[in-house]
Amino acid sequence: MILITLTIGVTWVFGAALAMMDGRRRSVGILALLGLGTSLVSAILLGIRVLQEGKVVMIAGDWPLGLGIALRADALGVTFAVVSCGVVFASLLYEVILGVRSRTFPALVLFLNTGLMGIFLTGDMFNFYVFFEIAMTASYVLTGYREQDYQVRAAFIFAIVNLLGSVIFLIAVAGLYRITGTLDMMIAAERIGEAGPNPTIVIATAIFVAFGLKIGLFPFHFWLPAVYVGSHAPVAAILSGAVANIGGYGLLRFGGYIMPDQLAFGAPVLLALGSASIIYGAHQAVARHSPVEVMAYSAIGQAGYILIALAIGGPIGYAGAVIYAVVNSLNKGLIFLATGLRGWMVGAAFAVGAFSIAGVPPAAGFISKLALFRAAIAWNGIAGSVAMVALIFVGGAISFVYSFQIYQSIYLKPGRMEAGKPSPLAARILVVALAALLVALGLYPEPLLYIGAQAAEVLVEGS
Amino acid sequence: MIFIISLAISIIFAAGSYLILQRNLIRVVIGIVLISNAANLFIVAAGITRGQAPIYPLPDGSEISDPLVQAMVLTAIVIGSSVAALLLALSYRLYTSHNSIDVDDISLAEAEAAEALERDESPELIDPEREGPV
Repeated sequence: MILITLTIGVTWVFGAALAMMDGRRRSVGILALLGLGTSLVSAILLGIRVLQEGKVVMIAGDWPLGLGIALRADALGVTFAVVSCGVVFASLLYEVILGVRSRTFPALVLFLNTGLMGIFLTGDMFNFYVFFEIAMTASYVLTGYREQDYQVRAAFIFAIVNLLGSVIFLIAVAGLYRITGTLDMMIAAERIGEAGPNPTIVIATAIFVAFGLKIGLFPFHFWLPAVYVGSHAPVAAILSGAVANIGGYGLLRFGGYIMPDQLAFGAPVLLALGSASIIYGAHQAVARHSPVEVMAYSAIGQAGYILIALAIGGPIGYAGAVIYAVVNSLNKGLIFLATGLRGWMVGAAFAVGAFSIAGVPPAAGFISKLALFRAAIAWNGIAGSVAMVALIFVGGAISFVYSFQIYQSIYLKPGRMEAGKPSPLAARILVVALAALLVALGLYPEPLLYIGAQAAEVLVEGS
Repeated sequence: MIFIISLAISIIFAAGSYLILQRNLIRVVIGIVLISNAANLFIVAAGITRGQAPIYPLPDGSEISDPLVQAMVLTAIVIGSSVAALLLALSYRLYTSHNSIDVDDISLAEAEAAEALERDESPELIDPEREGPV
């Protein structure tokens, strides 16, 4: 109980207090890290408890069940919460080591974390929307961090496009309330079957569009490169490692948990869009030169893999989607943080991230690609399975090419790394530690696979 | 009644979509405000019921209108207005640096700045010299 409150609430209190102070001071940064660390530790403890004893439910304000707003921590939500909080923590630590440049940065990161934890742990659809807006508003401002003109413009584009997505999501929530008479996700999942296919398909489409925008799927990706290219390394790490998780989680929660029938009905569309995303993202990424731009297009492709696993569905497909989302956010966090540094060991850490994105063992990316292959093989029909496996393989091969193109252009070009002073040792150690975590997860993948299976079980049981 | 409300929602939404596609930043902001208000109207419409005000103690036997949608829409209005304030602040920030709120002018100025950077042979977007002024 107290763990849920701590996970969500601590960063909110710290954020509100630190918003009044000058974030450029090191003491404020350390306070922010303390708050975020508390949130991370409680999320991990909550995760251990959920995996051991099943889901933890808390009704806000001690109202009876069905009246009050439920906060529900299950394996799926907690997994996303721990990973996102970890990436946010690493990014804030990185920025505090290098020196924060804006007075609001620590407070904004804390508010963002509050929103994210709320999204992953709430059991109420409208509450989901509110936390979603908290997280998104903080990330609009973060995109404009350092206030260069192109960053402010990127923030404006990001805000407009994502607000449109939020409005569509809000309309879908109102529609779900109309047809099920409840905002509680669990009760809505039980009642949705009685509503008949016509209204629910419209709502499911609206929800898919809303989360497709967040995660940056192929037809909704247009905003993504402009935003990533404009943003600063830790902000890009937060956006692609933590905020993008909202899209993946939302699709899993609303598609797999609340509306599994509609998800199965729309599976061909999801497969087509997912494949288009993978091909388009890889194709564009190979053609770019700036590392941030390459990774922005790569993010579009990675969203496609998650969508394909979701469309295949069932325990194996859902587990594949969860594992892929988790590993992908760690990869992206590492890669974006590493591109902002220079000096000894940074290149090695970047190479681990690049190997992981390409799915080469021993990095954790191999395990996530393997989970996808399993899902593709489990799909019914030999021809479909073969096509899927081929698609995933080709996508992986292309990501190998673009990852090492940027490795080459950053670290192997003479004169590039020697120019300027190396970055502080602590920041490099942080990046190397993230890389070590990815390798460790790749070498000993049991915890990852177990968590993926547990999270998938939540979805399969709910349907 | 349902027809009138849905007509109103669709007209507001359409007007907002039209404004979002304009080149003027202020019009874009007004467009997004209109669209979010169309969504608010949609929420109210989703739970529209005729009845007494839902204030305790409840009158016996009579129907009570749904209070939940009103609570929801109140929250959504607050969120919408604060985000609109943020967007206006961003537009103002762009106006002060470019002296224009036209998207075309701003992109043109940016393209020129990017070209100037490229001519100076320092196209590093990834964190040039953290210590020095950028």
